Amino acid sequence: MISMRHKIICFGLSLLTGVLISSSVMAQNNLTIIGSLESVPVELDMSQLQAVLKGEQMRWQDGTKVKIALMKTNTPIGTVTSEKIYDMSGNELNKYFLALVFQGKVKAPAFFNSESELEAYVSQTPGAIGVVQSTSNDQINVVVIDGKKQI
Amino acid sequence: MKQQKNRLLYLFFIAGWLALSHQTLAQDTQIRGFANVDINIKNDQLNFGFGEWDLFITSDLNDKFSFLGETTFKYSPSAATEFGVTVERLIVNFNYKGNHSILVGKHHTPVTFWNDTYHHGRVFFPTVGKPLLFGAGIVPIHTTGIAFQGLTLGKLKWTYNLMIGNGIGSHEISDNDKFKSVTASTYIQPVNNLKVGASYYNDVISKGAEYKGGTAAEKFNQQLFTGSVSYFGNKFEVLAEGTFVNNNGDSTGVARSYATYVYTGVRLNENWIPYVRVDYLTYESGEAYFGNEDTFSFVGGIRYEITYLIVVKMEYQQFDREVSGHSKLVSAQIAIGF
Repeated sequence: MISMRHKIICFGLSLLTGVLISSSVMAQNNLTIIGSLESVPVELDMSQLQAVLKGEQMRWQDGTKVKIALMKTNTPIGTVTSEKIYDMSGNELNKYFLALVFQGKVKAPAFFNSESELEAYVSQTPGAIGVVQSTSNDQINVVVIDGKKQI
Repeated sequence: MKQQKNRLLYLFFIAGWLALSHQTLAQDTQIRGFANVDINIKNDQLNFGFGEWDLFITSDLNDKFSFLGETTFKYSPSAATEFGVTVERLIVNFNYKGNHSILVGKHHTPVTFWNDTYHHGRVFFPTVGKPLLFGAGIVPIHTTGIAFQGLTLGKLKWTYNLMIGNGIGSHEISDNDKFKSVTASTYIQPVNNLKVGASYYNDVISKGAEYKGGTAAEKFNQQLFTGSVSYFGNKFEVLAEGTFVNNNGDSTGVARSYATYVYTGVRLNENWIPYVRVDYLTYESGEAYFGNEDTFSFVGGIRYEITYLIVVKMEYQQFDREVSGHSKLVSAQIAIGF
């Protein structure tokens, strides 16, 4: 009887741990798009977002220059950003932008080590758009993508 | 009194220097570079050497204006120091609206995908060297002039480039004749990683004009028509370009030439890419401008991308020339970006 109770407790704990781990991994894979209060629209669809973050749109509707802010590709968020938004590895993303800069077609994104630095840059730079895991900064807008606050 | 005046002047210069350096810091300027070390076996002899050292500078001057400069340092036996410095690109870009810009300066002529994309960055080249149509002087690599450019427009990501320049035979600071070269190029990206493009180049080359490969013995009207397809995906890489040349000499008449190459690579994983490239050049008999010979070349090799800034390539190339005959080249290259 006791061993049965132990088995049930162990099973319950394993299940709970599994749920917690998977939800934590899922949370780590979630991304939030942030934009400066000026110029950056508060809503975009995924294809528009990809075009903007790939440097294919140079200016916003009001004429302000698009400035891209990303976490460095060797950070966990940078890796998720590369895969989820660009469909590339971190290495491929770096090569992609180096090639475009070399062709004179885009300006390189600003790359950051920490989300707080990235958020500070976006809040202080008109036209800046960036990718973080989550934010509570009221000096920036969260850009809704396909109706969702996180992608 | 004089000492006080000197102090004031000194303070003035310090203040000026501080103001200027602040402006320089505020300006977003980036300096990057590319270099390569080559090893080859030619005529049963092993050779080590280094290629171009490319210095690349970009700078945002203000919200609308930016600058791009590219300079190469390379071995030049005719130079006093045995090294030559060449300004490959010097472009002032005025982004006047959206994705539309006007660019003035020395450009890489946007006639082919390769010339418009890789420039002198060997780290980006899919093979060790350029396709043969560059070495044969088929494509006018540089143009000094003005360009009107639009990038990735609309759903098809349409790009256009209209360039008017000094043309073939001109120098860096002036034109050698009154004729201007005109380049019109366009491409679309209907799906991710695929580009389909075409370009047109027209120039009048005056008698006596110097160009890669010789001196014009007569006046030529030259037209180039180029088609390009490129796909660099996660598994496969394909790049195919063909240039049809129409050279109309004042006394020799029309002669047609054709140059093409097809590159294909398979990405085995993130690092290893085996590849092949086939080049073919053919000239109409009596062609007086290029003065070259029909050539077929096969390249087979493997590329190892350690990172996006360090790429090692090893390849075998075989040439079959109409007059010079058969030759081969085994080469390796370490190309870096920094």
